[in-house]
Amino acid sequence: MMSKRLPITNRVRELREQHGPMSQSDLGDAIGVTRQTIAAIEKGSYSPSLESAFRIARLFGVGLEDVFGWDEDAK
Amino acid sequence: MSFREMAAWGMALVMAASGAYYLKLFFALTVAGGVAPPLAAFIPYTIFVIVASIIVQTLLAILAPIGANARADERERPIIERAGYWSGLVHGTAAVLALMAFLHFSDSQLLFHMIVGGLILSQFLEYVLQIVLFRRSA
Repeated sequence: MMSKRLPITNRVRELREQHGPMSQSDLGDAIGVTRQTIAAIEKGSYSPSLESAFRIARLFGVGLEDVFGWDEDAK
Repeated sequence: MSFREMAAWGMALVMAASGAYYLKLFFALTVAGGVAPPLAAFIPYTIFVIVASIIVQTLLAILAPIGANARADERERPIIERAGYWSGLVHGTAAVLALMAFLHFSDSQLLFHMIVGGLILSQFLEYVLQIVLFRRSA
């Protein structure tokens, strides 16, 4: 099923692969969401809550804007 | 596929099968008796739903014990709530229609069957909607 792309972009997959590599399940367990939710975040079909976004950024030891961005071209 | 989606598939199948069984029983007894059938005739249906639900949930818990113990996460919770909202509206509408039918026909057995039928339909729609929304946000 086609999922809608959201204007929030992210580098979660890239950062995850640099750290370990870490699996989607590992990252999900670390921040308290399911593997499917991490997959949806990486695909851009789900925008995480602010709390989860901070948890991801802190886990990778980077700032929020180093992980998440805004796609100006998105409607 | 997440545990919640698997559970929704399982329960949607249970509700579809039990709904078909209920309808078959209802129409068979209605044709035989000419009126809405008595409530006691639906005890096998109730047992079927309970046993099938327990079997499905037990199988899912055996297949995915971690998912079964975990709470719904931030992506899943709004989906479950949204599906529950629409399911509630469907059941409420069915209940109002059942009351209108009762006012017209004065048949309390029919009132009961319409409300139970509405409950089966609303539960089925709830699980189907969960599946659609889980897939859309995946």
